[in-house]
Amino acid sequence: MSTDIRDRLDATVEGNRRLAKLSKDAGYVWGIIRGDTLATIGVVIILGFLFLALFGPMLAPHDPGDNLRGEDGQLLRTDSPTETFSEGAYLGTTNYGEDVLSQVIVSVRVSVFVGLLAALIAVFIGANVALISAYYGGRVDDVLMRIVDIAYGLPFLPFVIVLVFIFGSNIWNIVFVIAAVLWRDSARVVRSEVLTQKQRPYVKSARAIGASDLRIMYKHIFPNVLPLVGLYAAFAVAYAIIYEASLAFLGFGDPELYSWGQMLFQAYHSGAIRFAWWWVLPPGICLMLLVMAVFFIGRSLEEITNPELRH
Amino acid sequence: MKKYVTRRILQLLVTYFAFLTLLFVVFRIAPGDPTSMYLLEGMGPEQRQATLERLGVDRPLHEQYVNYLLQLLSLDLGESFRYGTAVENVIWVRFWNTVLLMGPAFLIAYVLGIGIGAFMGWVRGSAKERFGVIMTLVARSSPEFWIGLLLLMTFSFYLGWFPSGGMRETGYEAATFWDRYLSLNFLHHMFLPLLTGVIFYMATPALLMRSSMIQVLNSDFIEIKKAEGHPEYIILYKYAARNSILPITTVVAIVVGVALGGSLVIETVFSWPGMGREMVDSVMHNDYAMAQSVFFLMGSVVIFMNFVADIVYVFLDPRVRYE
Amino acid sequence: MTTEHTTETDAPPTERDDHMLEVDDLRTFYHTEAGDLHAVDGVSLTLDRQETLGLVGESGCGKTTMAKSIMRLLPRNGEVVSGSIRLNGVEVTELSEKQLREEIRWTEISMIPQTAMNGFDPVKTVGRQIVDVIRRHETETPKAEAWERAKELFENLGLEGSRVHDYPHQFSGGMAQRAMIAMALALSPSIILADEPTTALDVMIQDRILRQIKDLQREFDTAMIMITHDMSVVSENCDYIAVMYGGRVVEFADAETVIKNPRHPYTLGMRNAFPDISEDDQDLVSIPGSPPEVIDPEEGCRFAPRCPFAEEECWEVTPEPEQFPDGDQHVVECHRADEAEYLRAEAEKKETWLSVQEGSREQRLEELEVNDD
Ligand SMILES: Nc1ncnc2c1ncn2[C@@H]1O[C@H](COP(=O)(O)OP(=O)(O)O)[C@@H](O)[C@H]1O
Ligand SMILES: [Mg+2]
Repeated sequence: MSTDIRDRLDATVEGNRRLAKLSKDAGYVWGIIRGDTLATIGVVIILGFLFLALFGPMLAPHDPGDNLRGEDGQLLRTDSPTETFSEGAYLGTTNYGEDVLSQVIVSVRVSVFVGLLAALIAVFIGANVALISAYYGGRVDDVLMRIVDIAYGLPFLPFVIVLVFIFGSNIWNIVFVIAAVLWRDSARVVRSEVLTQKQRPYVKSARAIGASDLRIMYKHIFPNVLPLVGLYAAFAVAYAIIYEASLAFLGFGDPELYSWGQMLFQAYHSGAIRFAWWWVLPPGICLMLLVMAVFFIGRSLEEITNPELRH
Repeated sequence: MKKYVTRRILQLLVTYFAFLTLLFVVFRIAPGDPTSMYLLEGMGPEQRQATLERLGVDRPLHEQYVNYLLQLLSLDLGESFRYGTAVENVIWVRFWNTVLLMGPAFLIAYVLGIGIGAFMGWVRGSAKERFGVIMTLVARSSPEFWIGLLLLMTFSFYLGWFPSGGMRETGYEAATFWDRYLSLNFLHHMFLPLLTGVIFYMATPALLMRSSMIQVLNSDFIEIKKAEGHPEYIILYKYAARNSILPITTVVAIVVGVALGGSLVIETVFSWPGMGREMVDSVMHNDYAMAQSVFFLMGSVVIFMNFVADIVYVFLDPRVRYE
Repeated sequence: MTTEHTTETDAPPTERDDHMLEVDDLRTFYHTEAGDLHAVDGVSLTLDRQETLGLVGESGCGKTTMAKSIMRLLPRNGEVVSGSIRLNGVEVTELSEKQLREEIRWTEISMIPQTAMNGFDPVKTVGRQIVDVIRRHETETPKAEAWERAKELFENLGLEGSRVHDYPHQFSGGMAQRAMIAMALALSPSIILADEPTTALDVMIQDRILRQIKDLQREFDTAMIMITHDMSVVSENCDYIAVMYGGRVVEFADAETVIKNPRHPYTLGMRNAFPDISEDDQDLVSIPGSPPEVIDPEEGCRFAPRCPFAEEECWEVTPEPEQFPDGDQHVVECHRADEAEYLRAEAEKKETWLSVQEGSREQRLEELEVNDD
């Protein structure tokens, strides 16, 4: 009973200590981001998109699938903003008379969702493969690194398309398939970092006091490679967004959902690309801004992991 | 060095074998009857049976696997039902069309990227570098199809300077290889898709080269080279850039992989009759044999390039050579 | 071979012209966000042919900046703001980048980095790099001859001539340093700057190499500035020693005087930190605290906050350099330098150093009064 309480107390103290360290580290990272104009811009853009991802459907002026008609009852077919502004379609309409603005807003969700989830899964797999591979070395390392080599041998987009085609174009499959390819980057890079960390004295002393392998890997080494993992997570977010959009543009997106790639797919295949700039620019620019914001933050993280890059 | 190369060759074989196996598995777990992909609509039952037997898909899986390996390795790529002819009759032209587009795109992107990256590293901390980094990040943030669409809208539809797609004018009959690939008409069609690739693929080597360069410039030996009285441009090209390139070579193959994948998108945007567009179309139309063949070719190229990059690295870095 | 430059400048000959290198009241600042950092703040030195000058001080005292100023190889934000550096009568601070490259760097001043291995381009053979530097400055020398010279230099340093074809990573630490010295001597410079060359190597190997350098200095008629934070290294290998603190030379004299009869409390403290030069075997004590980053220098001695002997005057008046007759050119910047006997005796006690609590001027002065009671 009493040991139980003491354990719990210890755990709380330990937890608080870790929380304190975490908030200190977070403060440090925040400090660097604040000092970097580009990263600050990135954070602002991302917060904006997160807001749209959460509340988009409530903010969209129309249902993205509604076929809008003008006063004369005619379908507003691929009309420019100047013609449709008075009807409340501020960015013009698609060839079905749908409101471009509403579609762009509702589409934020897919990019944000795929970006975050696919990156999380990818980095989770990658970091674990890296830790195990580098920590145990030898055979384990050989086998895992061969698997990474094979992953690198797969041409990215074709592989994703084949998998999505086989498993079906729904958003979950898209997330898993993208993650299944993206893990390789973090695996390779984090592994070499773990290899250097393994040589550090703190690992030896942890071993000397009899810490288990798992404990050394996850409690001692992992926190030290965390900045690098964070950096590759940022890259993974960016690439996941790009690949989801590419898939959708090629016609392999989730047909149930609106996404920027899908909008561009439709604009391209309807031939509207020849003139309907109001339909093409908004989704493309949003896509670019979101990915750019992630890379801007990534650049800051890169300077944290590699102080030599700081001027 | 011999040991290193031998080890690389062994690794190459293992990787390639695993890749082929994966390909077999992936295309056999496709939904529905795994044999249905070889059957055409309107075949009678005997015809079906005959086709299945001819293709050997009725045999046990391991036998099929061995057959599959033997066939692929002898470049027997099967039959495309969409074209109603052997895949090889279609795919090689597509293959070269893709190589002729993505090869130069990749090369130009790499050379430019390394140059720009080296420059950014050299002028680090200046407004020029800041501008360069922002532009590179913007390029990297724009998926190929977005860059392609923008170029298409601006230079083809709006300004009318370049054709909107295809490889050459319809009705243009190319008599010889040179006519085919080196005519002005071809280059005119190639310009926009090429530019799309260059813009997107340039970003990675540029950013990598920049950080690599900054690290090398911080090292002691650069200080010594300055102390030796070499002019700045010699230090930049002969010493700093030469050393900074080392880590870039290892990602060459990765970028080749990304670029080959990117051909799917670029060729779709510009209606370029290459492997990438063929892949998209054949997957859309359930033409498994064709999709599998494209995948096989692309994978082979990427794995081979990985190998080449590793070998080139040995020649660039004596520390590995004399291991 | 090095006097040819003298004719080019028409500086009026002064009495000090007989020194090969004269640094006079040199100030080098780093422009930082917090303001100008006075890394070298009024240093004067002289050096003659074949001599070795030891530049000693803790990390951050400005030694590297001093060396880089002489070679005019400062980081972007560094600038020599005033003072003069005359080498063989040539005013180095007034030379253009091109002149520096052609007339000073490596031909007159060469350098050896802390870790010799890192001083070579890792992807070129060592010989190739020696040949490159020879041919950079002697364009008419044929390649074959340059290679011959590289081999000879190697042999001078006890390396096999054939090893010029090896890459840097194929050398051991000691051999890499020999190769680096070979390269530094390639153009028979007037001065070799060695920035902490001893830190990376085994003491025994280092000792042998340093002795070899002494012989070569005579042969090549070369002087050397050896930078170190280790008093024991300079004691054996230098003719003169300059002790730096906070961007200033606080004590200068011939090596024996600085080691045996130092007058500055900082030198006394530094000496305590190394065993083989203090006669009795006491515990090693290093001076608590660390050197200042001088941004807005105030009046007063820069060492006062860490000095166990600081008095009111030390905080208020910057000590002027004062010459003492007990050594060759013995110059000390300390108000209490004339109490050397007492300082030396007190400095030997561990408590003296441990009693110092770094703090503001008021705190320290208060303490001082308490201790005096
Ligand atoms: N590039 C730089 N920018 C700003 N401050 C610098 C720079 N380089 C050195 N310093 C500062 O100048 C002082 C002297 O440094 P340095 O000459 O390297 O000393 P030492 O070689 O004696 O260790 C230190 O306070 C150091 O922090
Ligand atoms: Mg130093």
